[in-house]
Amino acid sequence: MKKLLAVTACPTGIAHTYMAAESLQKAAQDKNVPLKVETRGAIGIENALTPEEIAEAHAIIIAADTDIDESRFAGKPVVKVPVAEGIKIAGELIEQALAKEVTTSSSTSASSQDDISAMAETKEKKGAYKHLMNGVSNMLPLVVAGGLIIAFSFIFGLNPADGSFGASLLTIGKAAMGLMIPILAGFIAFSIAGKPGLAPGLVGGALAISESVNGGFLGGILAGFLAGYIAKFLIDYLKLPKSFAGLKPILVVPLLSVLATGLIMLYILGGPLNWIMTSLAAWLENIGSVNAVILGAILGGMMALDMGGPFNKVAYTFSVGLLASSVYGPMAAVMAAGMTPPLGIWLATVLRPKNFNKEEREAGKVAAVLGLSFITEGAIPFGAADPIRVIPALVTGSAITGALSMAFDATLLAPHGGIFAMLIPNAVGNVLMYSLAIVIGTVVTALVLNLLKRPAASK
Amino acid sequence: MNVHDLLDEKAVFIPLEVSDKTEIIKTMAKGLADADVVTDVDAYVQAVLTREESGSTGVGFGVAIPHGKSAGVAKAGIAYAKLANPSDWQSLDGEPVNMVFMIAVPEANVGNEHLQILVSLSRKLIHEDFRNSLLAAQNLEQVNEVLKTL
Repeated sequence: MKKLLAVTACPTGIAHTYMAAESLQKAAQDKNVPLKVETRGAIGIENALTPEEIAEAHAIIIAADTDIDESRFAGKPVVKVPVAEGIKIAGELIEQALAKEVTTSSSTSASSQDDISAMAETKEKKGAYKHLMNGVSNMLPLVVAGGLIIAFSFIFGLNPADGSFGASLLTIGKAAMGLMIPILAGFIAFSIAGKPGLAPGLVGGALAISESVNGGFLGGILAGFLAGYIAKFLIDYLKLPKSFAGLKPILVVPLLSVLATGLIMLYILGGPLNWIMTSLAAWLENIGSVNAVILGAILGGMMALDMGGPFNKVAYTFSVGLLASSVYGPMAAVMAAGMTPPLGIWLATVLRPKNFNKEEREAGKVAAVLGLSFITEGAIPFGAADPIRVIPALVTGSAITGALSMAFDATLLAPHGGIFAMLIPNAVGNVLMYSLAIVIGTVVTALVLNLLKRPAASK
Repeated sequence: MNVHDLLDEKAVFIPLEVSDKTEIIKTMAKGLADADVVTDVDAYVQAVLTREESGSTGVGFGVAIPHGKSAGVAKAGIAYAKLANPSDWQSLDGEPVNMVFMIAVPEANVGNEHLQILVSLSRKLIHEDFRNSLLAAQNLEQVNEVLKTL
């Protein structure tokens, strides 16, 4: 039995979208053809087509007066008409769709190079990976703008006076950086559940980086998936009495999805993470005097493990705390280890560009600047897109850098600044060997990363 | 809220003896004004006509669903007319229209509950049974009976 799919949409999204959907469904029923119709109207996307359904479908009917992203249908025959035709000649459209030969994308009417690469992309971007990439690509501009602006601010000094231009740049950059994880989580959830996913995703992401959770970007990814599936579950399965049904999309789904996501973030994730942080801090205090090189490796690894998460925060806070007791070695190790993740990624994109798509290669150049400025967040888009392969590479490079920094007796008096701190006379002790430690860590990160990473679908 | 809560007796015309499209819209808009749905008839009619210009709302099967979102609307509402004489509406299928649902939506804050109702009405209008029972309805009560099945 040939299965068909359809998408209907119109600019107002009140009447035609649904009339076309109903008309197509009715025609399909008359002809005994299984048909699922995705409606894109004023109440959002309903009955969204899944990649599995698209893979199984014989052909897809698009009856729309608005732009529909066809890339997800690449390789499938498509019958594309204005939405009015969906109402008027639904039966005919079903016949046309059934008559379509199963073709490869190269012989469909709208075929072009783009379609072929789009097909490779859609194959690559299935399921969870697709959601993740949607979050990462929306987050990327914030990382680039925020990171570069913070780096610019360092030109005006590492500790700019309140109200100065440098301070303003820092404020702007930090505002952009602060939105990174909420946007990451928000658009992961958006990809899963459509518009209803956005609100719980944004809130979940904001909570992930809040003081109460300290989840970092991994917490943000978790928040995104959590929020997306909660919203999707509520849309699909929450049944209300008919007289309240109208309140569902406007009141019930937003309220319940945000509340549920928030509570889970705070109580189920936040609690254990806080406990981990407290335990880690206590553990570091204990091993602090054991062996400087091992401590450097541990601190370095922690910096790269979750970039902004509990491990990173504890390592950084621990080292900053030691500055007050005039112990400057760990601070140097931590900064070096925070510089190598973006630097190593940049080097990896230069050494083997095939492993990265075009967007990533461009982001790699920016990562170099962010790495030099000790803005570890430059590595987050890469870590978020492919955590299982990227994080081990970053941790290896950072641990080695941290250990070397300690072994070389490098010291650092400022808790931030990257290369800008290194340029300040006497801020860094043993600056040449310190630089060597960073270079070695960068090279190790890049080599391990390219060893683990698979070639990206070229774009 | 249900669709018949949006339909006031003063905005129901069974039958409507006017056959020009613009006149039909104006008459029904006045009905909506009498029902306290529309506060500024001219502004609302303008919004509806502008929508018609961008593409006829004659969706076929003798049905038209003119609609307008306007500051001249106080609350969401529907007007219904069964035309005494079928009117040309430049419909998708070229057939004249004998049944008109006119929808008024306020400019600000279109609640989703109203959209849901309009969506289910739109879906129902595709079905012949539903249209036939609407055409058979002779007064507000009977129209409401039919709309209850939404």
